[in-house]
Amino acid sequence: MASSKKLISREEWEKRLNNVKIRKEDMNKLVMNFLVTEGYVEAAEKFRMESGTHPDIDLATITDRMAVKKAVQCGNVEDAIEKINDLNPEILDTNPQLFFQLQQQRLIELIRNGKVEEALEFAQEELAPRGEENQSFLEELERTISLLVFEDTSNCPVGELLDISQRLKTATEVNAAVLTSQSHEKDPKLPSLLKMLIWAQNQLDKKAAYPCINDLSNARLEDPTF
Amino acid sequence: MPSATVNKPRPSELLSRLTSAEPEVKVRALREVKNQIIGNRTKKLSFLKLGAVPAVAGILADSIDDVTDNNNCNNDSNNAINILVQSAAALGSFACGFDAGVQAVLDAGAFPNLLRLLANPNEKVVDAVARALRMIYQSKLAPKYDFLQQKNMEFLISLLNSEKENVSGLGASIITRSCETNLEQKALFDAGILRKLNSLLEGGSLSQRDASLESLATIFRNNPEVISKFAGPEIGRPLSSIIDLAKDRYPRTRLLACMCLIVIRNASPHFLQDIGIKTKLIHILLELLDDPGQVGDEAPFAFSSLIAQKEDLQKLALEANAIDKLHHHIKKGSLHPRRYEGILLALDDMCSKLESCRSKFLSLQVLNLLADALTDYNAGVRAAACICLKSVTRSIKNLSAGYFMNETIVIPLVQLFLDPSTSVQVAALGATSNIVVDFTTRKSIFVQCGGMKQLVQLAKSMESSVRSNALWALKNFVFQADNRLKEGVFSELTASLLSSLIRDPEPSVQEQALALVRNLVDGCINLIEFVFAEDGLILGAIGRQLQCASKAEIGIQGMYALCNVASGNEFHKEAVMQLLFTQMGDKNQSFVIKFLQSNDSRLCTATVWTIVNLTCPSSPGAPGRLEKLRNAGIVSQIKNMVNDPCVDVKLRVRTVLGQSMAFGDN
Repeated sequence: MASSKKLISREEWEKRLNNVKIRKEDMNKLVMNFLVTEGYVEAAEKFRMESGTHPDIDLATITDRMAVKKAVQCGNVEDAIEKINDLNPEILDTNPQLFFQLQQQRLIELIRNGKVEEALEFAQEELAPRGEENQSFLEELERTISLLVFEDTSNCPVGELLDISQRLKTATEVNAAVLTSQSHEKDPKLPSLLKMLIWAQNQLDKKAAYPCINDLSNARLEDPTF
Repeated sequence: MPSATVNKPRPSELLSRLTSAEPEVKVRALREVKNQIIGNRTKKLSFLKLGAVPAVAGILADSIDDVTDNNNCNNDSNNAINILVQSAAALGSFACGFDAGVQAVLDAGAFPNLLRLLANPNEKVVDAVARALRMIYQSKLAPKYDFLQQKNMEFLISLLNSEKENVSGLGASIITRSCETNLEQKALFDAGILRKLNSLLEGGSLSQRDASLESLATIFRNNPEVISKFAGPEIGRPLSSIIDLAKDRYPRTRLLACMCLIVIRNASPHFLQDIGIKTKLIHILLELLDDPGQVGDEAPFAFSSLIAQKEDLQKLALEANAIDKLHHHIKKGSLHPRRYEGILLALDDMCSKLESCRSKFLSLQVLNLLADALTDYNAGVRAAACICLKSVTRSIKNLSAGYFMNETIVIPLVQLFLDPSTSVQVAALGATSNIVVDFTTRKSIFVQCGGMKQLVQLAKSMESSVRSNALWALKNFVFQADNRLKEGVFSELTASLLSSLIRDPEPSVQEQALALVRNLVDGCINLIEFVFAEDGLILGAIGRQLQCASKAEIGIQGMYALCNVASGNEFHKEAVMQLLFTQMGDKNQSFVIKFLQSNDSRLCTATVWTIVNLTCPSSPGAPGRLEKLRNAGIVSQIKNMVNDPCVDVKLRVRTVLGQSMAFGDN
């Protein structure tokens, strides 16, 4: 069956690819940007020494930020809050959503450790006033408190709150807030590039059959098929 | 190991630790206070009540000279640095978004100390102090900065030149907060501040760009001269950096850039007038409505400032589906009150002048939506809903069809007459004034909902704005209403209340009361009896008020009321005559002559109309009245007006003269 799409062979494709020049410096910057944004400070430092690429952010600030992120991931929320406030007291003062999320995480940790009385006292003293200020906070608070009602928390409707993924979600938000406060973009560039690649391939798929990349992790060209 | 401690020291215990002689204890206590209050308005309030702010401010003051150079790394100097940093951070947090906190910090005398500490050698101290000062300057309570003093301008420049973001940000905040007059704006321009801000726009960090945009907007506001100097010589370039920022990746930057461009547009007729930029601004702002945070809350207000009073922009916005988009956001529900209020006010601006916009809005079946907003728990939202309703009800087409006079809207609207907030009451009265001009026979619905009685109650309010707006609504309600309705209104009002309102201390109330009488007695001869009730209370009040009318509008309404009375029978006309000729003190001249000689042609017209009715040939007493008028010099005054530039005046004058000639006058 004849296809209206143009067929491009692997040799032709690879020839065209070779004609496109990519600068080494640009790739280095992308790598550095990824390491810095994700917080791999030692790797960033080593990469700087070995490649001579300058990070667009002071590496010392990465250490502080990573300490905060780690504290949240370990469930040490109070410690994380203190560290954020040392870094920049404005972040939590001007971001009620994030502050509430952290306080909610504290409550979850208290419940996880079976400290029911402390949890209730904490909820009443610290979280209830936030709920008064904002309807959606109140709803989240009620969801969290309902964890105490269920004996089998692994099967209850709000069980996901106890999951490690909840801590990771909060940690990511905190990381993003700190980055933004340091006037740095909170997302690395690399994912955007890959998304652009997938989009471009989808567009090209309509017009041609060509060697495409299906597995992003190894970027291998797969032969065109009809 | 997850931490889960709630064993915190009580606030009073913390405050006593602040007074400790040991620096380390002090530092820990300060840090603990700071960590308890950040993000927590309730805690800020409770610490405030315990006197935390003066305590912390006192520590700052005591330690101000303890850090004198940056090189000491021993324990003592570390403690000294930490004391300054933590106390500044705590004060900054008290001031952050919390006016009571700002006031307390200022009252505790911390402000001058914070300023001094900007010159401290230690970076961390300067950072913390600059941040605290920035928080203060975000509040309306911040001390006014005198830009016109040379020393102050130099200090401001040094702040803007700093490499530290918090310090240059402080400079920008001071400008945004304190720059108010054209003189100050010019002084800032002359000192080269705009050039500095522009460089921060192009080369600065995210927060510096945002702060610059706000400051630039403040300096440009209502100052076309500064704008043209800024945009002038390098035509297009400085403005193009702001235009580029309107497409920035960060929503807040886009919003601030749009707001700056709108300020420029509104102040100066020469810039940003082409259709391309207008369309761009509309699209960017409508898209910003999608932002879930504060940017989305503020976007509708910026949109309003763009389109308010400007039909061309309203048309463009209509074509860009603005009304659909705004409506879509309200329908989503669970809106932050600020956003809800903003969207309603944006819809108000859209519908304020163009029938096409009102039609579009009403086609979306919005009555229930508006009814919900009228009953919202937030006063700002309720007021905005009324204001929006007032614009929408300007649609004569829909008014005539009786679209608004239904219980869905009228019941919640009437409930707002009793709203605790005066501004909501006044806004509700404004919307009501339009709705009751219902050209169908459905005005009785308003009476059934208790609206008419409520209006009469409000006419007795302590607030003059409520009184005058209630009378306005009543005036519109009785406009061309049937006799039964009018009689109902009059018996509810009573002659004594109406006459005292005619004699109200506030001119706006007097005007509306007289207009109400005018509409009441208009149309049917029986209704004229109202003004004679209780020994002619109302008629007498009209006469007295006309003697001392403080503005033309009062004279106009009063004369039209008399004009309508004079359209009645002989008795009525004679009563009017007597009123016109009542002397006050030793004045020989009737106010009639004064009105006829007025520059306001509406007043002249109303007065001549009254004379027309008094001298109408079909009534037997007309010749006698004409004689009296002639003797008082009124007829000759009218003869002088035979070529008045105003057509209405001219025509009525000729009618009078025509009528007078019927009695053999020349």
